[in-house]
Amino acid sequence: MSDFEIWITIIGLTAVTIITRNFFLIPGDALRLPPRVEHALRYAPVCALTALVTPELFTVHGTLALSLANPKLIGGLVAAVTIVVTGRTLLTMALGMVAFWIARAWL
Amino acid sequence: MIRRAPADAHARRLKREAFFAGQLRAVPVAIASGVWGIVTGVAMVNSGLTPLQAVGMTLLVFAGAAQLAVLPLIVAKAPIWVILLTATVVNLRFLIFSAGLVPYLRKLPLARRMLLGYGTGDFAFAVCTTQWQSQPASERGSPQQIWFMLGTIFSTWSVWQVSSMAGIVLGAQIPPAWGLDFAVVVSLIGVTIPMIYDRPGLVGALVAGIVAVLAAGLPLKLGLVAAVIAGTGVAMALDYAQARG
Repeated sequence: MSDFEIWITIIGLTAVTIITRNFFLIPGDALRLPPRVEHALRYAPVCALTALVTPELFTVHGTLALSLANPKLIGGLVAAVTIVVTGRTLLTMALGMVAFWIARAWL
Repeated sequence: MIRRAPADAHARRLKREAFFAGQLRAVPVAIASGVWGIVTGVAMVNSGLTPLQAVGMTLLVFAGAAQLAVLPLIVAKAPIWVILLTATVVNLRFLIFSAGLVPYLRKLPLARRMLLGYGTGDFAFAVCTTQWQSQPASERGSPQQIWFMLGTIFSTWSVWQVSSMAGIVLGAQIPPAWGLDFAVVVSLIGVTIPMIYDRPGLVGALVAGIVAVLAAGLPLKLGLVAAVIAGTGVAMALDYAQARG
């Protein structure tokens, strides 16, 4: 892509960020969400973040990798257990990465 | 010289404290956001963006997942509309987040709502909503809550920008063998799981996670959308069923 096309793309991407992050904030007070939608909002963020994570964990180069020979699965498992048990984000990152490195070195 | 009334000074002190509390609460996720920033910075340079383009992208776009999703498309010289559509789909979760923020920000003027909305990525959103969940509805949109939010945005935004720049400068010097990309995934696990606080939420997240894996091959990252719809639908149905007993 030419320099010009890259900058057009960057500006377009900026617009995408601004519009998506503010979509319902722009109408603001004028917006009254139906109760059913408010209800959905309690669960949608967790679902969205989970959906961002699982393909990274359970697939390798686009194919399903459910065996324990997948180091990302080991790291993810250790991270999940750590956050549930300790509730500490940094420890979770540290142990998850260490488990991932160890698994990768061994397998 | 105008002397401020004591009540005014008190309100200012509360705001300042809330701002620092937000910054402090966001420290763990800011570090996560920093790792993500480095990964994105490296990826931008490796995708052939010039340092200036990469800096421009990180300063303006400020959306790690979308940036990482579109970089391979830029390398492949995909049409711009495909790139923008892909970024939109990856960012659709922010639509949901923005709706979730409305009760807290509705009293602010448009420009401030948009500034806060623009600054609220995954990590700031997770910290704020987790914090606000335990506070009474009467507190919604209080100056303390807004300044707390500003604190989380300040932490995550500044760390993100600095680390992205670091990634751009370091570029190829960071060995891929470190697997830093995976640190992004691990940090997301760390912020997502604490947001689950009831059984419907847990089941919904599981469903969303499974659908996202099964539908990962769909074009334009549409698997993400399918996953959110499926997971949220199941969670709501379960919640209704529970409420009816």
